Amino acid sequence: MTREVSVELQNVTKMYGQDKVVNEVSFTVEKGEVFVLIGPSGCGKTTTLKMINQLIPHTSGNILVNGTDVTELDVVELRRSIGYVIQYIGLLPHLTIQENIAFVLKLTKYTKKAQKERAEELIETVGLELSHLNRYPRELSGGQQQRVGVARALAANPDILLMDEPFGAVDPLTREQLQNELIRLQESIHKTIVFVTHDIQEAFKVGNRIGIIREGILECLGTPMEIVKSEDDFVKSFIGQGALFEVFDTIPVSRILEKDVPLVRDNEKVDLADEKLKDWENVFVIGSDGNCRGYICLSDLEKDGTYTLDQVQPLPKTISPDISIKLAVEEMLWGGRTWLPVVDDHSSFKGIVQFRACAGLLDMEGR
Amino acid sequence: MIELISSAWEYFINRQDLMFEVLREHVLLVLWSTFFTIIIGVPLGIAISKTEKLRDIVLGSVSILYTIPILALFGFLIPMMGIGSTSALIALVIYGLLPVVRNSCVGITQVHPQLKESARGMGANNMQLLFKVEIPLAFPVIFAGIRTALVMNFSLATYAVFIGGGGMGRIIMQGIRTFNTGMMLAGILMVVITTVFLERLVGVVDNRIQKHYSLSD
Repeated sequence: MTREVSVELQNVTKMYGQDKVVNEVSFTVEKGEVFVLIGPSGCGKTTTLKMINQLIPHTSGNILVNGTDVTELDVVELRRSIGYVIQYIGLLPHLTIQENIAFVLKLTKYTKKAQKERAEELIETVGLELSHLNRYPRELSGGQQQRVGVARALAANPDILLMDEPFGAVDPLTREQLQNELIRLQESIHKTIVFVTHDIQEAFKVGNRIGIIREGILECLGTPMEIVKSEDDFVKSFIGQGALFEVFDTIPVSRILEKDVPLVRDNEKVDLADEKLKDWENVFVIGSDGNCRGYICLSDLEKDGTYTLDQVQPLPKTISPDISIKLAVEEMLWGGRTWLPVVDDHSSFKGIVQFRACAGLLDMEGR
Repeated sequence: MIELISSAWEYFINRQDLMFEVLREHVLLVLWSTFFTIIIGVPLGIAISKTEKLRDIVLGSVSILYTIPILALFGFLIPMMGIGSTSALIALVIYGLLPVVRNSCVGITQVHPQLKESARGMGANNMQLLFKVEIPLAFPVIFAGIRTALVMNFSLATYAVFIGGGGMGRIIMQGIRTFNTGMMLAGILMVVITTVFLERLVGVVDNRIQKHYSLSD
């Protein structure tokens, strides 16, 4: 399957007078990935981001959005088709939260009713309550305002989101929470996200791929593990000592989650002809409510695939998809297990994390 | 002192019809002049907020107009426009322009650039940026300018009598000319009281607006 490209920069340069703020930058962002641009302040990462929706016009090179050169598009239409999130100051203080979320819809002349419905839908998507809709931005905390910012960017249902240090203005605890929420949200919305930050941990945590920019030049591009293993001196000094362990400490287990585990509904028998079973030792028993009842060893099953309830072994300690790989490994080491079940807040079963997948991150070749 | 006030009160009671007539003239003159000040001043202020070159010229001009003493201004206006309420109206519009133009310009330019950028980033075109973001956010400052112009013109309109523009100045002037202290004092008190009342009234409205908008920052 060829991967679709959402955003592509080809030798893009931005000059201010004689200064090359962005110098021959090229990269592609695949559909559905979180692409992080990171670098010291003033390195041109924000400028690069703003050239994608043409808030800053580029001097030379080509910028393609969904295959079309941005200079051939109407800038207003282009911007309306791309979600844009900046630090929370971007909420309009004279509008209620509902009006803020529906701002893009208002610009494109949606009906009042449609605006309201969309705002109600989105406020819940980002984990706020309906009662927030009638408030004003200043009545909300920084973290809540930032969630509204995300909801607003999603209003017109764009495929692409540009996020410019979206969590820069909130306290570390809230930031971590917002990062987790973004990762979780991304699981269901699968947007293409270009994310600018100066925080390397944030980059490791949310990014599928990371581009490091220095003085307008894209120095290094790769997955978090590739970045960590880079031999480049600047990259090494930028990400700091012990970055390898930081990666383990920041990347959530949801990144290496195995969702495609063999499942069986309780009261049903296991289909032994299923090809999938070959690679597995256990089958997971799922109740009608989506919760996992436990697991059965394949070797315990009768020949026709039936089993009795007392053969079902209860799950070992479960973990949430938000926790870091480091914590998951610790958990496995303490519990003497090679895998752990992953269960979300609503106690619905998400899959398992295996020790070999954690260790696999260290593998140079394997991704 | 008491005598004076009671004579003024007596005059006021006896000539209620005249008092309300001049009050009506006065209020109409101020309302129309403020209306024209807004119609001219707000768009002008917004226009110069967008073009820095025009800004100094326009603000310089309205400042100069503002410093012309009112009697001198009448001296200009009478040969051109003749005597009457139109000339008075023009004079008041000229004085009201400075606060309205300046505040409109300042109000628009002080809108936080990040707010404008986020609106543009969401795909607002220039008109939408102006009407949905800049003007609403600048409104408290623009209104403060209108408030200044309104209250200032209300007290300045007392001079309209010199140019045949009517208003409460008529009572004061006539009182002075005819040595009718009661009449003069009645006119003065009415100007003072109505001005204070108006000042309070717009003050309350202004406070409401500022309070509503203090959500900004």
